[in-house]
Amino acid sequence: MSTFLDRVFGRVGLGGVMALVAPALAVVFAGLVTSVVLLIAGHQPVEAFTSLVEYGAQPRVLVLIVNLATTYFLSAVAVAVGFRMNLFNIGVDGQYRLAALVAAAVGGAALVPGPLNIVLVVLVAMLVGALWASIAAVLKVTRGVSEVISTIMLNAIATGLTGWLLTADRLGVLSGNAIGTPPIPGDAHMPGMALIPGTPMKINGFLVVAIIVGVAYAVLLNRTRFGFNLRATGRSEPAAVASGVNVKRMVVAAMVISGASAGLIGMPELLGSSFEYSLNFPTGLGFTGIAIALLGRNNAVGMAVGALLWGFLDSSSDALQLMDISKELVDIMKGVIVLSVIIAYELVHRYRVVAAQRKVSRELAAPAETEGAAA
Amino acid sequence: MGEAAITTAIATEPAVELKGITKRFPGVVANRDICLSVAKGHIHAVVGENGAGKSTLMKILYGMQRPDEGEIRIDGAVVNFHTPGDAIVAGIGMVHQHFMLADNFTVLENVILGSEPRKGGLAVDFAAARKKIKEISDAYGLGVEPDALVEDLGVGDRQRVEILKVLYRGARILILDEPTAVLVPHEVDELFDNLRVLVREGLTILFISHKLDEVLKVADAITVIRRGTTVASVDPHEVTARKLAELMVGSELPSPETRESTVTDVVTLEVSGLTMADTGAGPVAKGASADELRAAGVRLLLDDISFTIHKGEVLGIAGVEGNGQAELVEAIMGMRAINAGTVSLAGADITGWSTLKRREGGIGFIPEDRHRHGLLLEAPLWENRILGHQTREPNVKGIWIDRAGARKDTQRIVEEYDVRTPGIDVDAAALSGGNQQKLIVGREMSGEPALLIASHPTRGVDVGAQAAIWDHLRNARAAGLAVLLISADLDELIGLSDSLKVILRGRIVADVDPGSVTPEQLGSAMTGAGEGA
Amino acid sequence: MLMAAAACGGSDDKAETGASASSDAGATKGGKVGLAYDIGGRGDQSFNDAAAVGLDKAKGEFGMEAKELEASPGETDAQKEERLRLLASGGFNPIVAVGFAYSGSVKKVAAEFPDVKFAIVDDADATGPNISNLVFAEEQGSYLVGAAAALKSQKGNVGFIGGVKVPLIQKFEAGYVAGAKAVKPDIKIQVKYLSEPPEFTGFNDPAKGKTTAQGMLDAGADVVYQAAGGSGGGVFEAVKGANAMAIGVDSDQALTADKAVSDVIITSMLKKVDVAVYDFLKNYTANSLKGGETRYDLKAGGVDFSTTGGKVDDIKSQLDEYKNKIISGEITVSQTP
Repeated sequence: MSTFLDRVFGRVGLGGVMALVAPALAVVFAGLVTSVVLLIAGHQPVEAFTSLVEYGAQPRVLVLIVNLATTYFLSAVAVAVGFRMNLFNIGVDGQYRLAALVAAAVGGAALVPGPLNIVLVVLVAMLVGALWASIAAVLKVTRGVSEVISTIMLNAIATGLTGWLLTADRLGVLSGNAIGTPPIPGDAHMPGMALIPGTPMKINGFLVVAIIVGVAYAVLLNRTRFGFNLRATGRSEPAAVASGVNVKRMVVAAMVISGASAGLIGMPELLGSSFEYSLNFPTGLGFTGIAIALLGRNNAVGMAVGALLWGFLDSSSDALQLMDISKELVDIMKGVIVLSVIIAYELVHRYRVVAAQRKVSRELAAPAETEGAAA
Repeated sequence: MGEAAITTAIATEPAVELKGITKRFPGVVANRDICLSVAKGHIHAVVGENGAGKSTLMKILYGMQRPDEGEIRIDGAVVNFHTPGDAIVAGIGMVHQHFMLADNFTVLENVILGSEPRKGGLAVDFAAARKKIKEISDAYGLGVEPDALVEDLGVGDRQRVEILKVLYRGARILILDEPTAVLVPHEVDELFDNLRVLVREGLTILFISHKLDEVLKVADAITVIRRGTTVASVDPHEVTARKLAELMVGSELPSPETRESTVTDVVTLEVSGLTMADTGAGPVAKGASADELRAAGVRLLLDDISFTIHKGEVLGIAGVEGNGQAELVEAIMGMRAINAGTVSLAGADITGWSTLKRREGGIGFIPEDRHRHGLLLEAPLWENRILGHQTREPNVKGIWIDRAGARKDTQRIVEEYDVRTPGIDVDAAALSGGNQQKLIVGREMSGEPALLIASHPTRGVDVGAQAAIWDHLRNARAAGLAVLLISADLDELIGLSDSLKVILRGRIVADVDPGSVTPEQLGSAMTGAGEGA
Repeated sequence: MLMAAAACGGSDDKAETGASASSDAGATKGGKVGLAYDIGGRGDQSFNDAAAVGLDKAKGEFGMEAKELEASPGETDAQKEERLRLLASGGFNPIVAVGFAYSGSVKKVAAEFPDVKFAIVDDADATGPNISNLVFAEEQGSYLVGAAAALKSQKGNVGFIGGVKVPLIQKFEAGYVAGAKAVKPDIKIQVKYLSEPPEFTGFNDPAKGKTTAQGMLDAGADVVYQAAGGSGGGVFEAVKGANAMAIGVDSDQALTADKAVSDVIITSMLKKVDVAVYDFLKNYTANSLKGGETRYDLKAGGVDFSTTGGKVDDIKSQLDEYKNKIISGEITVSQTP
């Protein structure tokens, strides 16, 4: 039988309407908990939520939410690839930061002209992410080191390494009190898309990339042999071994894919907004990805919804502060949502198991009823 | 009321009487109108297929579940159990199939755990407990030594400790759930001797089993359960095992007998000098032979094993569990590294091949533990069809999973192998054990394998499914399949095998002719007691 | 990096006045001030708090209303921009951004709202007609306390503890080292940072500050200068335990630090962010904002050393001599180590 963790990490399917009901219930529940917190703190929940929604519905903020979600989604995919086969790549954070730094330096050097530079930067980032992740994979398959431990360590090492690389005599350029890589030339900026009317702000061009990645992720996992082996390994490693899956090879492959996806996380920011890796480059996105992968149960559409929700919550912290509500309320909401989603999925799962067994026994017992009566 | 009247009442009232017990779970009736009457001082067997409702019935009797309808009488008095505690107070004790003993405790400590006799309020009165255990042990001839460590005890001894534990709590009615499942034949005989002593001393035993020969041997009365209800109460002296089995399944039964030989002289599998060292104690030299390893004092899990299986032959491996069967299977499947020896399939040396390549090369595999190795429980049946056949048609096209193909073929297996399921989109976990096993057998027979490794193919499977699986094995054998059969069911081994080998401590210690050996002879060969038949 | 006089204020006074986002700009005589803090916000015992002191003073004097928003860890520039836009479009004017992290965002948003006046602390890169850059010559002030450390040290061994190894803090280090060497060319100077970017915990890790200072003292230092924000308290504790000397930073820490340890602080390098913010708001109210860079150096009195407690009275004349040389341009202090 599946373990609780299997279900938490979505290695067990959750079909039909229930897959939607669970997270919806969880969000409603989180709203209730937050309301209580608001009341305790002396605020009007209805008023607060109304203005949050009003704020979030402004075109300018919508653009911000979508752009944040693009990054979050990429991070969630990177995490989910590992989760689906029982690999806990906690190191997505370090992988994307290191990848973004090296890619930014390569892009800033303008080795190739124009859009080619975009391609080069993206490829370098994916390569660096994959290489950094593969260290943990190699340690796991050759030495049996838990990837949880090694990736956490590698995060710390990545922090040290980026700090060392981002100094004036290496990859960095000092500019006032800030230090960053040389800016990527204007012809290699990812063009934005004016998708939302009513604001001059543009949707990051990497939205397209994120959608492609999402589709590729879903197809890879659900429609290919490789994906089948990956999911089988995640569901039951002994069964996968018995079926002929080379689990070690799968560990390396999954880690490399996860790391390469992690390399993409920094790209919307780097090529669409900051054009340099500086002290201001966003951090902690790898951990955001873990939360969203949990929320979306490693399902591409689920994670997209989760990423948008997270984008909304993150962008709403200023609006809360304007209402004199502590921005930490956002963190409370996020925590409650993740927790209640896990609980809701578990409840729904149990309901489903019972329902399935009931269905099987009902359909099989129907003829028996008459036979038994005759006996 | 006089003394005589009471005695008469006791003599006439059944120890346990169940009337019209019905238990519904949402959407399914587990027990329906169960009627059962157990006379005092009898060993009363309750037989039925897996899933027939035996366990539910026993849980009701032991207070773990409450019936929706019906009445339970103990010694003539209506009782109403809310918890097992109530049942224990009423004198009912349960010996579970899986022992519930703490290995690092002594027998005494295990027995008194949870009902320690107190001395002066706080201290445990070990002396009193030891005395009581001794008394019970002597009274019923259990031969239990209170101060032995449980981890030093054999399976049979542990079972006696379980029985003693129940008696210690004052049970007069014992429920034994599949007590022989874990025992080798001579231990079974010892158990039965113990049981006879217990009933002679006035206890009543409810004996749950699906091993019909044993039931016939020991029971004073038999009740058959089929599809949740009692279908017959029979006298063991007037019924044959075959008749009993038919009552259980509700139809005529085939037997595992398979006498006409289909063995050819074409070798399918050749295993030679297979040796596997126990690396738990530390690394061992690579490529060392069995002799060298033995000389180095390394424990060998597989010790220089050689045999061949021909096309159309079933080779049975008999042995007490844990003597290298699992390692042998994993070595042939390429799932575990070996230290020496070669494996070849149809003339090709496959020693260095991966599991996948071996499977592609025509090895089918029915694993011992279907939940661990055979199925993805939380995946639908059609995905389970792909497992182990990820690289072959009709499951895949190139790198892509061929959903339509896999689904169609799953439907074929469901039909051909009579997998009882509402559809191929239900999770494997929702099926009963027998149906899961039929799905695995169907899958492993797909793609015309040359060799089938069948580990306990009918373990935990009901009689109906067992017969079906035997049929499929026989048919495939007739079509030229070579089968390596590993089983703890000696009837199955003797009935299906063309040749039999006995494995003990990782070595093949005897060749046995399945045509002439009896289960008892085979059983003693397995324990190393005899020289085989 | 100013340890504000109001550092003890904590974070419970975030809700300042009741300005609501929907009310019109200019409703209040003095204007509605929008203040965007870096991570930590009001109550961080560091530069955010320093800005808050300046704001509080201006609010009282000019009858201004204010709204304060703070950043979250790890956020993107887009989120910072949105914070400034939210304030600007909500009618807040002027808007003060605290910390160089806002550099890019201020430049961008200031261009979108040409009628709103912006100020940014610690950054000179974001330029525009409606942007005032409030920058400090930390290296000059640090030079003086470096000289003080060298003059006071008996072992010829002094230490510098930076919070996070970013260029801004390296300016403190550069000045300190130069000042110490100016007094005593062969002096031993130990330099340590508590964390490296993107790890910014070094500004708020007193325990690490303490062990690091302990290590320096064990290695022979007898004067330690800390530029580590909230971690400084730990540095002082270690120094107190070793009966050595410490140099504070940003505010006059002999006054603001915990009384139990404040007596080890011989002087502090003053970086008057509060003054800068106050000046900016005052000029706004008086309609005399010029925009562009205002450099708070020794000459302008934006950085200095403190004399509270009289522990540097004996060397004050020497320090004043260095100060005058820097002001006159005779000595120029490098901004990088």
